[in-house]
Amino acid sequence: MGYSRGAAPEPLTEVIGEVSEDLISLGDVRAEYIIFTPVKCNSFIKTVETEGVVFNVKPIIFSQVKKAEEVALFICTAGPEAGERSRRYMKEGDLLRGYVYDVIGSEVVENAADRMQEALRASVAARGMNITNRFSPGYCGWDVAEQHKLFSFFKDNYCGITLTASALMNPIKSVSGFIGIGREVIYAPYNCSMCDDKNCLYRGRKSTRSEGPDTSCTGFRSV
Amino acid sequence: MNQLLEKLSTCVEYGKVDLKSPYPPAMKDQEGAFELTRQALDAGISPGNILEEALIPAMSRVGQKFSRNEIFVPQMLMAAKAMSSSMIHITPYYLSGETKRRGTFIIGTVKGDLHDIGKNLVSMMIEGAGWEIIDLGVDVSTEKFIEAVGNHPGAVIGLSALLTTTMENMRRSVAELREKFPDLKILVGGAPVTAEFCHKIGADHYSPDPQGAVEYLKQLS
Ligand code: B1M
Repeated sequence: MGYSRGAAPEPLTEVIGEVSEDLISLGDVRAEYIIFTPVKCNSFIKTVETEGVVFNVKPIIFSQVKKAEEVALFICTAGPEAGERSRRYMKEGDLLRGYVYDVIGSEVVENAADRMQEALRASVAARGMNITNRFSPGYCGWDVAEQHKLFSFFKDNYCGITLTASALMNPIKSVSGFIGIGREVIYAPYNCSMCDDKNCLYRGRKSTRSEGPDTSCTGFRSV
Repeated sequence: MNQLLEKLSTCVEYGKVDLKSPYPPAMKDQEGAFELTRQALDAGISPGNILEEALIPAMSRVGQKFSRNEIFVPQMLMAAKAMSSSMIHITPYYLSGETKRRGTFIIGTVKGDLHDIGKNLVSMMIEGAGWEIIDLGVDVSTEKFIEAVGNHPGAVIGLSALLTTTMENMRRSVAELREKFPDLKILVGGAPVTAEFCHKIGADHYSPDPQGAVEYLKQLS
């Protein structure tokens, strides 16, 4: 929310604690990946293809995934309640609690994505493979409309997520994307200069997350 | 400035809602915006003066601090909540026509987009600047925007979008609004929106944050 440790005004810390407990107790969180192989990477047009679907990932992402042999497509959600409770509290006039539901909802889904990514890393490591960072349509020049291609791999309502015509996932607190897998791919420390969003709220801000200061895009990091 | 108004202004700026509210801790057990607004009215201060000298300047300071990253969204929301407890006493004067708003601002998130936190923050700050807000919500069709402008002649309109895909719907809405209401002032904003995009689609102003929106409206009123 922008505060450095210990600088949050009262009653924020207390509300964060209550909301986090509430959202965790709901058990609505879902995170799944499906691995596809083989993968064809075209370095002239910077595309990644699997099962006949061509993702136009653009140069920044392409440079990270070009050596992938397999690709894990994923979707994660914090479930519908984070957004719904946020809206309800805001409407009832408890603006702060409503906002905290929104922010913690984002944290919950990012955490789910982190854990899913770690599970994937461990599982492919057993086969001698590495993973790349995770990348999402809508980041680093990859058109958000390509979510439609990504969702063509998942059954309707997979993990309880649906996609609108404008490529918006419902529930709102959801993320999607892919992770490259291969013997020669690497997990690169994230750096804001990789991203083209000059207006990002988090640009250049040091991460407070456990992975360390190299992962500073905390909104939904494209890593 | 009158001491009562000064105190009221401080309460709004720091989010002290009422006597019961324990926040901010430094103001615990003191009267808040709710009680002080009542007292100001009872002391014969006009609602217009309360707004102009205490409430609007307080929200303006909040907006400026937010723009400078000195405070963050939670403090802005706490101030907005204190402001709304003052408005419980002021609103009847608006309704009777005794006190006038600075204007009417219609706002909505464009078709296909469900993001509302940013739009709500913008609404709160514009309301805090003395404007009437007509909030059309999220996923607002062009027809709904057009209908609202038709129902509120002279209003200014604001469109918010958070995805590049829905920026396309923003473009369409702006084009149709412009065709129907050539003199309408159109403000646009949202994370992926830029001044360049605003110019390209024929909107009048782009603001990256609520304070910029307030300042733009100030120029118009
Ligand atoms: C009328 O006049 C005005 C004037 C000013 C106006 C205005 C109107 N409306 C707003 N403003 C302005 O004033 C407000 C207060 O300062 C501001 O409003 P905001 O709404 O922008 O600000 C909020 C108060 C706080 N800001 C936010 O809550 C958004 C922050 C960022 C980091 C962000 C977050 C947190 C999240 N996200 Co994501 N996310 C990003 C955002 C990037 C950024 N740094 O802004 C954005 C919005 N996301 C993006 C994307 C792509 C995505 N996200 C996704 C997911 C997520 C999370 C779930 C992890 C999380 C929550 C999302 C949510 N909506 O609740 C996905 C979509 C989710 C969905 N449901 O479909 C996904 C599609 C990624 C994916 N494939 O998974 C990008 C959209 C642009 C695009 N390419 O289309 C994005 C801009 C990031 C980027 N750098 O590209 C200003 O914009």
